Parts: sequence; structure tokens; C-alpha cells
Amino acid sequence: MSAFATVGGSFVREHLRAPLTLALLVVIPVFFVLIFASVLGEFADALGGTLAGGAATSAISAGWAAAFLCGALAFFQVSSSRGADRRLAAAGLGAARVALARIAAAVALGVVVSAVAFVTLWARNGIAHPWHSAAAILAFALIYVGVGALVGALVSGQLEGSLLVVLVFAVDAFSGPSMTSSGGILAHGPTRDAAKLLIAAGTGQSSSGGEWGAVAAAVTAALAVAFGAFWLAARSRSG
Amino acid sequence: MAAGRLSTAIAMGTREQRRRPLLLILLVVFPAYVISRSIAETQATPHTIGLPGGDLVLTSMKELHGAVMAGTAIAFAAGLCGVFVMQSALAGDRRLVLAGYRAGEAVLARLAVLAADTALVVAVSFAVTSLFFTPAAWVPFACAGVLLGVIYGALGALLGALLDKLAATYLMLFLVMTDLGIVQNPMFGDGTPVGWAAALPGHGPVRLMVDGAYSPTFHAGGELLLGLGWAAALGTTVYLLLARAVGTDAERMA
Repeated sequence: MSAFATVGGSFVREHLRAPLTLALLVVIPVFFVLIFASVLGEFADALGGTLAGGAATSAISAGWAAAFLCGALAFFQVSSSRGADRRLAAAGLGAARVALARIAAAVALGVVVSAVAFVTLWARNGIAHPWHSAAAILAFALIYVGVGALVGALVSGQLEGSLLVVLVFAVDAFSGPSMTSSGGILAHGPTRDAAKLLIAAGTGQSSSGGEWGAVAAAVTAALAVAFGAFWLAARSRSG
Repeated sequence: MAAGRLSTAIAMGTREQRRRPLLLILLVVFPAYVISRSIAETQATPHTIGLPGGDLVLTSMKELHGAVMAGTAIAFAAGLCGVFVMQSALAGDRRLVLAGYRAGEAVLARLAVLAADTALVVAVSFAVTSLFFTPAAWVPFACAGVLLGVIYGALGALLGALLDKLAATYLMLFLVMTDLGIVQNPMFGDGTPVGWAAALPGHGPVRLMVDGAYSPTFHAGGELLLGLGWAAALGTTVYLLLARAVGTDAERMA
């Protein structure tokens, strides 16, 4: 347990060694909620969507900030650390514990990013259902931990992988609820249910048990995918 | 001799890119998806914008999205290419210098690869844009796209040289969204950028793009010069920085 905690802590520090990375993990959610949200309503209106009002646009911006930051973070975690993780696994920690430590680090950073986004959102608008909002923002972050880790497991090139994470993010953002007037298969991005919860929480509406269940299922699936991706990265060639 | 070495290094860089088919696919799919989806989804709501030179034009949000979305896609893709081409250069080119290359030759070969990636993104972006939108004057419109590719490709390379790749990726998103997505974007507010927008690197090219999109006569000389100035300054800085880093690292290893 102590080795697990030490390794997990090291994985967090690995990403925070560069002060600018830490600063951006704070600044980007603030930027999304305060600045980007101010034009998002106009943008959704131009796309024929119904995402109107400061509360809804700020809330969804907070979720997107957490999603993008955690997706890129998880991608680089898998992509940059295959060699080190294999050595850690081979040295006795085992691939499963390396994978769990990686997930713990990604979740810890996701919590930090989500907390910044949530506090900014609260300070800007006040939130009708604060705990629902916090859970939904964290769901965005954790779903993208799965997306980023999956891309990292499938794509070895860092330029290709980061472009793919951005492409998934763009598809998901465009297909978000109330963003456009169209439906179809592209209307079912990975964070669609979390976005519905977040918009409802931001605008003071309640969400059904089914919607909460769908978000819990998406988060569980994403973390399972992330575990598989980290485990494969640590396991291969380790014997 | 020097020309031969340079062409060999460029050929090696090109071969390396050809071995990465997913990269080429994404450099086509990313701008094609973002541009076509944006334009297709946008409603034809009326919106007035200001052109360089002071004229006002009544257009629609759909047309306007067609006019400016290519710039955002080009900037983001070229910026990410810049980040990772620079990271590869710092990791590998010192060996070329140790093997007898001049630092400048190794750097020029990398910049040629970056230019090829950017040219692909620009070509795809304009090909897709032309399916939905016809600018009033293609030459300034296309020049603006090329300038955005050069400026943001160089900015990405600069960030790739100075920062960790995660921070560089985050900052690229932040810069493109702030500069092109919000501050210069005529889709928001009164359709004319605020005064301090001129201090950002996307100002000249985006105003040139808007001029080419809506005006058959050219009014954006100052904006063109501003964009060329940014491109020259950033391009020179990247060349000098990378040549110094590659040369210094190689000397240290020797």
C-alpha cells in the first residue's frame, strides 16, 4: 500500500514539476467559465441550439474545461510513460498496481481541475444545485480520463494522439445537448448525459434517476477503459 | 555539398512522415470535420460585421462561419504540429549535428517538414471551405490562411522548445481559442474586433481573411504587413532558438 501511495504521488508530481502546467490546470478552467462562456450562448444560438443564459453556458464550459484538460493529461500519461511503467511493473509493483496508481493520479488531478472549474462557476453565477454540478463536472473529467487513456493505448505517436483527443473533444462538444439543432448518431458523444445533468444543475432543474444512472455507467466504463489502457501499457514486454 | 545534405535531411523527414499514415489521415480529417460540421450546423441568422477600411457588411452567421472557421482549424493543427516537430527535433537532430551537419541545415529540414504538414492542413481547409463558401477574393483569403499556418506553426514550435509537451498542448488550445475563437472572431459582439485585439498574432491574418471573404477590392494592406511581421519574427526566433539548442547540445555531447 505504501509503495502504491508513493508511486501514485510520484505520478502526480511528474505532471506538476513544470510550474506552467500547474498554472494552466488552474487558468484554463477559469478562462472557460469566465471568458468562453460569455460567447458560448451566441455560438450555440448561431448553431441553432437552445443553450441560452449565463448559468447554462458557464456550467457547460466548466465541464468542457475539465474534459479537455483531463483527456490530454491521461493521453500523455499513457503515451509518455510506457517504458517507466514497464520497469516499475517488472521491478515488483505489478502491472495492475501501476495501472491503479496511474488512475489514482489522473483522478486526483481531475478532482483539482474540477474543483477549480466548480469554484469559478460558483463565484461567477452561484449554482442552484451545487453538489449536482460538482458531480457532473467531475464526471466530465473522469470520462475524458478514459478517452485520453484509450487514445494513448491505441496511438503511439504523440502528435497523432493529441490531435485525436482534440478531434473527439470537438465531435463531443458539437454534439452536446442544446448546442445544435441536429440529432443523429453524432448526437451521442461520451459526455452527453453528463452535460444534461450539468445544464440542469446549473439552471436549477432536477435530473431523473435514469440520467444519474447513465452518467454513473459512463464514468464506470471510462475508468474501466483507463485501467485497461494503463495495465496494457505497463504489462507489455514486462514478462 | 551543403545543399545535398539539406535535401537528404528533408527526404528523411518526409519519409518519417510517410511512415505515420494516421498523422496524414488526421491532418485531413481534423480540419475537414471541424470546418464542414461548423458551417453545416450554423443557421443563416443575419449579422453585421466591419471590414478593414471601415465598411459595414450585412451577412449571415452561416456565411461568416464559412469565412473564418478554416483559420481556426489551420491555426490549431499547425500549432500542434509545431509543438511536436520541435520536440522531435530537440530529441534527434543533435545526432545529425554530431555526424557533421550544420545546426542550421538540421533545423531547416525540420522546418520543411513542419511547412509540409501545414501546407496539407491549409489545402484541406480551403478545399472543404470552398464546398460551402466562395470568398469575394481568393488571393487575400488564401494568404490569410497561409499566414495563420506559419504564425501558429511557429508559435507551436516555440512552445515545443520552451515547455513540456502537456503544457505546450494546453497553451496551444488556450491561445487559439482566445485569439481566433473569441477576440478576433467577427461572429461575436458587433462584428469588429476591439482595439487591443491588434496586439495578438491572429489579428492581421483574420482581418485579411475577412477582407478577402467579403470585399472584391483589397483594403487590408496594414493587416497583411502586420501578419507578415509576426510570421517573420516568429519564424526567425524559432530558427535561431532551435539552431542554438541543437548546436549547443551536440557540442556538449561531443
